[in-house]
Amino acid sequence: MNTAMKIFNLPDLGEGLPDAEIVRWLVAEGDIVTLDQPMVEMETAKAVVEVPSPFSGKITKLCGQAGDVIDVGAVLVEFDGDESISDDNSSDEKAPATKAVAEQPTSANSNQSSVESVSDIFNLPDLGEGLPDAEIVRWLVAEGDTLSLDQPMVEMETAKAVVEVPSPFAATVIKLHGQAGDVIDVGSSLVSFGSSSAAMVAPSVTPDEETKPAQKPADAATVVGAVQVGNKLVTESVNAVTKALARKLKVDLSLVTGTGKNGVVTQADIKQAKKDGKLIGSKTNQTKVATAPKANLNADENPLDFKASPAVRAHAHRLGVLLSSCNPSGKKDSITKEDVELAGKGSAPIAKAATSRSSLPSVQVSVEPQTVRGVRRAMAVGMANAHATIVPTTLVEDADITSWPKQDSLARYVRALVFASKIEPALNCWFDGERFERLVHPNVHVGIAIDSPDGLYVPVVHDADSKNAPQVRARVQELRQKIETKSLKQEDQQGATITLSNFGSIAGRYGTPVVSPPQVAILGTGRFRNELKLTDKGIENRKMLPLSLTFDHRACTGGEAARFLAAIIEDLQKAV
Amino acid sequence: MAAITLIEAVNMAIAHEMEADKEVVVFGEDVGINGGVFRATDGLQEKFGKERVIDTPLAEAMIAGVAIGMAAQGMKPVAEIQFMGFIFPAADHIISHCARMRNRTRGRLTLPMVIRAPFGGGIHAPENHSESTEAIFAHIPGLKVVMPSNPSRAYGLMLAAIRDPDPVIFLEPKRVYRIEKHEIEDNGEEYPIGMCFVDREGTDITLISWGAMLHETKQAAEKLAAEGISAEVIDVATVSPLDIDTILESVEKTGRVCIVQEAPKAGALGSEIAAEIAEKKIMSLLAPIGRVSGYDTVIPYYRLEKQFLPKVEHIIDEAKRIVEYR
Repeated sequence: MNTAMKIFNLPDLGEGLPDAEIVRWLVAEGDIVTLDQPMVEMETAKAVVEVPSPFSGKITKLCGQAGDVIDVGAVLVEFDGDESISDDNSSDEKAPATKAVAEQPTSANSNQSSVESVSDIFNLPDLGEGLPDAEIVRWLVAEGDTLSLDQPMVEMETAKAVVEVPSPFAATVIKLHGQAGDVIDVGSSLVSFGSSSAAMVAPSVTPDEETKPAQKPADAATVVGAVQVGNKLVTESVNAVTKALARKLKVDLSLVTGTGKNGVVTQADIKQAKKDGKLIGSKTNQTKVATAPKANLNADENPLDFKASPAVRAHAHRLGVLLSSCNPSGKKDSITKEDVELAGKGSAPIAKAATSRSSLPSVQVSVEPQTVRGVRRAMAVGMANAHATIVPTTLVEDADITSWPKQDSLARYVRALVFASKIEPALNCWFDGERFERLVHPNVHVGIAIDSPDGLYVPVVHDADSKNAPQVRARVQELRQKIETKSLKQEDQQGATITLSNFGSIAGRYGTPVVSPPQVAILGTGRFRNELKLTDKGIENRKMLPLSLTFDHRACTGGEAARFLAAIIEDLQKAV
Repeated sequence: MAAITLIEAVNMAIAHEMEADKEVVVFGEDVGINGGVFRATDGLQEKFGKERVIDTPLAEAMIAGVAIGMAAQGMKPVAEIQFMGFIFPAADHIISHCARMRNRTRGRLTLPMVIRAPFGGGIHAPENHSESTEAIFAHIPGLKVVMPSNPSRAYGLMLAAIRDPDPVIFLEPKRVYRIEKHEIEDNGEEYPIGMCFVDREGTDITLISWGAMLHETKQAAEKLAAEGISAEVIDVATVSPLDIDTILESVEKTGRVCIVQEAPKAGALGSEIAAEIAEKKIMSLLAPIGRVSGYDTVIPYYRLEKQFLPKVEHIIDEAKRIVEYR
């Protein structure tokens, strides 16, 4: 030990804990460290703390290794301190400090190690919140006093508060470093002690010999209460889980190919897609299929198409103003109360046409308005979407069906659609107007519009091209039955490539049926009639079937549509 | 593949993880020799030994404290609190230490621990056995609070909870412990924590629930469908952190919300969900948010228990009121 040597004792790392364990050294013996450079990670009973160097200098000895428990006040690091920046000159007092406690072999849970040192130096600990220094307000003890553990020694004022600093030892004070008004840096010497002894010795506990387990009784189940027991086997909703995971990992589900049974997307598929970068927003030109319509449904407007607070909606309802007639002036295109009032005064085009019940508040009605939901609502949404996207063109013509034997006309119409689709496939097609893609279907799946009290259903006769007339009839019968019993399934209504609307079974000669995207065509068959026709044989009574073919002119040419209609007529005019 | 109940799924997940990771240990009152009062840990001590499946004294504070100590040292404790009503002696450890350790140590120490507790009423249990106090823990930052509603979710979420680097409070709806079975392959596939599951898609109203009440909620949705009301059903599953985005997206679609919970209404998790919706999606709301809850009373002794728990008809009535609101 030379006179230039400096010793750094473990300060209280906060809250007066008696010791701390070395987690790992951040420096090695022989290292030159600068002031405040972290030297070691110490773990107290409360937290892991980095202990900074109080000096600039060369480290000559690290007292202890990872896992050792060091008592507060015991030597932690020895320095060759000739480059001291610290303004304290207390190294002389520190010099005689003994080799410390940390040297002794450490048993895992020894906080009972007694401090046998002749002299200990108590450095100013961080008094909280990492402030760099504190000012001595007044000493509460004098040199030569014998203190007990935790006895208040001094009042220190930090930038934040006045704090009493307790004694870390039961020991005699040899020297007080500084006087009232002096500013002491954290980590600098505050008090030197004479002989001290550790305050507390934890009673040691020897583990009892293992207690023998009790004999397990035959019925050990002490179930509290009565849990309802069921044997019903339920299937987990796999989709719900994969969708949740996709959302968590921000994976775009539309880009994921399922590898599970029947092509089901698994959690593993989602994780793979994440690795492959199939993330939401990764694909440009994202297309949304069949989203809610932006079109104005007038009285049947979809309220979710408009942003308005419940109060504004109620106000609009009271004034009989349609949200669609308001000019949104609020944040993010929301409708404000003022917008509603403006619309109510007629400054904005309010739907004055007599069709709208809510725009005629003066009419007294005794019935409540009905909410449109379920199938009827799906129709409203679907039709508005069709109207907003399709460019419809309708061709009308009659087919001469005089030669028909008595038979179910619906099966003939389906057959004619199949026949025409073979001759002119452009109408048995799906069209994506955003991506400009069309899908020409090799098979013909005919959607059949069926009217019901609930609303419009369009169930599908799949693979009509490989079905004969009895099979078609059987399928249509099955679909009607399902509608009646409300057991129509999702798959019964999906996948149509072309649609048939047989409105003539009720009334109507020609019509303008609405194409349902992504399909491009729909055939309407009107009510047939007898007509006097001039033929080779003179004037004859012929049975005429009126046809209306609407097609999406974005996807088909007029020529294609006309050829398709001609093929339909050709097939329909066959006797059988 | 075995067809198993929710409680058996809990057991299977713990056994799977004990097999896979020797750091996983189980302890609590009666979990060892007895196998748990609901059989959650049945057979585990025989299989994994007394050093890894440990019977503790009746001292919940100690159970939580030991779990924290073990987890801090790198073990993965799965501690059982026999009933959630008994968790409060352990609350100081859980709230003041368990939840804060990552923050306290600036990320140096995390606590990969699970505290399991059966919660909720409906099993004719005595006092302090039937509460739904999930909101207390959901309120504490640093805790994840997971509440599976069916066997598959119990299995997948328990695996995720044990593997999670941070503490998870795993609350098991004991009323539906054995009410139905799922075929579950013991393949170790976890479910995502922190996400809602959309169990039924719909357009007219969003029904939000979790835990045992999801069963009544699903039944209500089915009956509403028969009346032409299309209800979306969301299983919140993780009540903290709350996957509010899934909920908000649904609200945007339906404009109408009904929250179904077993807990008393005041200050419950449903209040937080309602507040989030009001804050972020009020412009999409077509009707005031509705809640079907337990009553703001102490849950009664079992003779009146059924009167306390929300029923399918309550959910249907409230949903209709909301859908018909103008």
